[in-house]
Amino acid sequence: MPETTSFAAALPEIILAAGAMGLLMLGAFGFSDGEKSDRAGWTAILILFAAGVALLGQTGTERVFNDAFISDPFARFVKLLVLAGSATAILLSFDDLRRAKADRYELPVLILLATVGMLMMVSAGDLLALYLGLELQSLALYVLAAFRRDDVRSSEAGMKYFVLGALSSGMLLYGASLLYGFSGTTSFAGLAQAASAPGAATNLGLIAGLVFLLVGLAFKISAVPFHMWTPDVYEGAPTPVTAFFAAAPKLAAMALLARVLFDGFGGLFVQWQKIVIFIAIASMLLGAFAAIGQTNIKRLMAYSSIGHVGFALVGVAAGSAAGIEGLLIYLAIYLVMTLGAFACILAMRRENGPVEEIDELAGLAETNLPMAFILAMLLLSLAGVPPLAGFFAKFYVFAAAMKAELYGLAIIGMLTSVVSLFYYLRIVKVMFFDDAKPGFSATAPYVRFVMIAAGLFVLLYAVYPAPLVEAATAAAKSLSL
Amino acid sequence: MALTAIFFYLFSTLALASGAAVIVAKNPVHAVLFLILAFFNAAGLFILLNAEFLAMLLIIVYVGAVAVLFLFVVMMLDVDFAELRAGFIKNAPVGLLVGGVVLAELIALLGARVIAPTPASSVASPIPQGVTNTEALGQILYTKYIYFFQGAGLVLLVAMVGAIVLTLRHKEGVKRQSIAAQVARGPKTAVELVKVKPGQGL
Amino acid sequence: MSSETITLLWEYGLWLAITVGLSLLVLVGLLLCVAFLLLMDRKVWAAVQMRRGPNVVGPFGLFQSFADLLKFVFKEAVIPAGADKGVFLLAPLVTATCALAAWAVIPMNKDGWGTWVISDLNVGVLYLLAISSLGVYGVIMGGWASNSKYPFMGALRSAAQMISYEVSLGFVVITVLLIVGSLNLATVVTAQTAGIGTWLGLPSSALDWHWLPLLPMFVVFFISSLAETNRPPFDLVEAESELVAGFMVEYSSTPYLLFMLGEYVAITTMCALATILFLGGWLPPVDIWPLNAVPGIFWFAAKVVFMFFMFAMAKAMVPRYRYDQLMRLGWKVFLPLSLVMVVVVAGVLQILRSA
Repeated sequence: MPETTSFAAALPEIILAAGAMGLLMLGAFGFSDGEKSDRAGWTAILILFAAGVALLGQTGTERVFNDAFISDPFARFVKLLVLAGSATAILLSFDDLRRAKADRYELPVLILLATVGMLMMVSAGDLLALYLGLELQSLALYVLAAFRRDDVRSSEAGMKYFVLGALSSGMLLYGASLLYGFSGTTSFAGLAQAASAPGAATNLGLIAGLVFLLVGLAFKISAVPFHMWTPDVYEGAPTPVTAFFAAAPKLAAMALLARVLFDGFGGLFVQWQKIVIFIAIASMLLGAFAAIGQTNIKRLMAYSSIGHVGFALVGVAAGSAAGIEGLLIYLAIYLVMTLGAFACILAMRRENGPVEEIDELAGLAETNLPMAFILAMLLLSLAGVPPLAGFFAKFYVFAAAMKAELYGLAIIGMLTSVVSLFYYLRIVKVMFFDDAKPGFSATAPYVRFVMIAAGLFVLLYAVYPAPLVEAATAAAKSLSL
Repeated sequence: MALTAIFFYLFSTLALASGAAVIVAKNPVHAVLFLILAFFNAAGLFILLNAEFLAMLLIIVYVGAVAVLFLFVVMMLDVDFAELRAGFIKNAPVGLLVGGVVLAELIALLGARVIAPTPASSVASPIPQGVTNTEALGQILYTKYIYFFQGAGLVLLVAMVGAIVLTLRHKEGVKRQSIAAQVARGPKTAVELVKVKPGQGL
Repeated sequence: MSSETITLLWEYGLWLAITVGLSLLVLVGLLLCVAFLLLMDRKVWAAVQMRRGPNVVGPFGLFQSFADLLKFVFKEAVIPAGADKGVFLLAPLVTATCALAAWAVIPMNKDGWGTWVISDLNVGVLYLLAISSLGVYGVIMGGWASNSKYPFMGALRSAAQMISYEVSLGFVVITVLLIVGSLNLATVVTAQTAGIGTWLGLPSSALDWHWLPLLPMFVVFFISSLAETNRPPFDLVEAESELVAGFMVEYSSTPYLLFMLGEYVAITTMCALATILFLGGWLPPVDIWPLNAVPGIFWFAAKVVFMFFMFAMAKAMVPRYRYDQLMRLGWKVFLPLSLVMVVVVAGVLQILRSA
């Protein structure tokens, strides 16, 4: 018989799921036609906020539903970031979609449901929970990518994302079934036992299953060599949706990856560390070099996000508490930087619609100095220039890598950071030194708010980093290392 | 037991054969029909495993609903077979490679099971004594696995919302029948009595 | 051959012989019944339309169906040149086979010998649902293989229609199963010996059957089964005013006969299912002498014939639905209604059980 108390641990998820369903009903029957999407958006933000409050009320570590759901400081740290990322994405979506005449109330509903999936991923303690969370999130994202269904590029993005995502889900499931076949269990705790049993290191099936699982997850975090979908999807999807893609789902998938590897396969650390190092190096290299030739700023952000996934994976590869701490701090700072950068991209809009080419930013410093300043700061932070927040993010993961004696990895990371600085600086140069193009039209207030908030965070993080670092330290302890 | 074995080989042979026929069949409609045959044989195998509930569900859901829609779509598609086959031959080596790897792994899996029988003995939810497997399924589905059950429900909800979001269009100016309005109409609103004077018309 | 093998073969042989014998018995009985039900169908329409109906072959036209059978069998089977021959001929076979296969699990009586059924399956209800959902394949395959516009339109219509109504049909069945707590059809019937009537202190009677507590579901079930079997007023699959004869346009001779046979057997199956789920199967209307001395199979047959009569009356009296009305009824009326009823029934049962 189920204990009724166990549901309390999943309260944020329950609030979100029930809220999404309620919002669906409100959207279909409740709101008047005129401002459906706005009201739905605000309601969704309210629901996300409520879930956040419920999340903050939780303490300690709870394992419920037969270990399928884990609520611990690690999960809560990431969940809070995910909720914030989703709420910000909704905030960014208001203006853009209205102008594109794609403002429908289903967008916030789908974002809410995707968020439920992400929270499930972060809390997963079982392969089934992992898959269900992942699929819930991905399915909602496929639809979101194609949300502007009359736009060819958006439909194409949705289609590509769907086909490749389904492929990766298939691989993941295949890996999961292999793992089940060889260990007889789907729970991470049971897998950990099987992975640390004598002879596990030579157990071909277990390792093959792990590799397939990693491949599936690498697809979702768009790590090289499973990144092909990212630029096209980022470019084709509506910009607020791209902002959402780049932020919350990445965080959830990274957290899931860390959870599976440490909680489930701690015993096979030597085996998977090599794979993670390879993926990290490949992602960092590709993120740095492929971005150089880009002219579309959304594509550039796609490659940038691939690179950042590589940097974050360095923390995982370190395999230490410091590494996880670095990963968590990295994810938090990356979230803010990305959302800020996308807020700036959303502000790139002229009378006849949004523009996405980097050249269109020419001379922004003359036409709109504050925006140019904030964007420059965010880009430099993404590159990791001290004393901006991005520098500290990289600092923590590289320090962890050095401590774990992964010198090669750390050095490659630093070198690729330098390379990436080149293309970020190129945009800064375009903004400050090229001949001015006509100014952008007025920015929507929420977008401006996100822009400024992100800019302030990036600038002032160095002044008072303690709360984030402390929270990350506490969170990192809950994974079994 | 002998009878079970005979049926097992019958069902598995047919399942494999129809699975192969799905790929080889020239006509996509025939391919779907073979797919349905494969589903049937899979259901037969379920019955041999005493999982009659799953067998029936497989037929109701996959054969009765999913495959029908599949057939529906395939019949309406205008597929160029020659082009399709050219692509098939071009990609065949890759497909064979992937299939081979998967097969090798499955064989490895089988070998491990024979060598180490532990996984088979650690079944997460064995069927309790004296209960049909439908009941056994019901007993754990809503208690032990409630989280997965609800999660799967949400996935399906997203699929439904997604399908509607991407395809539903409200056309302007379409007349729709409102049966409630029709029924509620009384003689007062529906009929106008006009006295026509002779020779004047309306 | 060792003695063990011989006993084994003997056992299997006996089992096989019994199963085949029973199947043949049910099959022949069923086909005979269908022949007369077909006649009854025509007679009922005729009566409603104040005609005489078939009255030439045999006394009162009793042998009309057999005459039709001979006529169809001796005609030439025409296969259109552009047709996909294999699928074209497979389609009627699928329809007829699926329809007949459903009768393997239908219990017709229970007495000292046990349940009168070929296979007393644990999941009999699901088996019936599965088989009835297969009926659509005959229609789709026939429509597509004819390689002609009208049949294809008919096939498309039927695919959408049958799937739509299957959903609410499934939910209706679930409400019954919730009350019974078993998927075995014989148990469903025996569960109806006690109910509202016995709760009031009356002897076991028709008031105990499920039609009374689940009256709305019984109505939904009846209408859905009309749609599921493509019967008027939902015979849009073969709407002759629009599609000539729908998916059967290109069929003639024995294939056509098989389609017709499959259709009528499917209707009879639906009547039997309604009888089992809602009308107490083989139970007598009141459990007193002399009614309970009559063999159960008689009551079962009487109820099936009554249901069939309702089907015929529906055909005779109700005008054909338009397609959008049909879809609206299925998805917007029946589906929500049956969904709500599932919740209500489950809730009521939970309250009764805890009280």
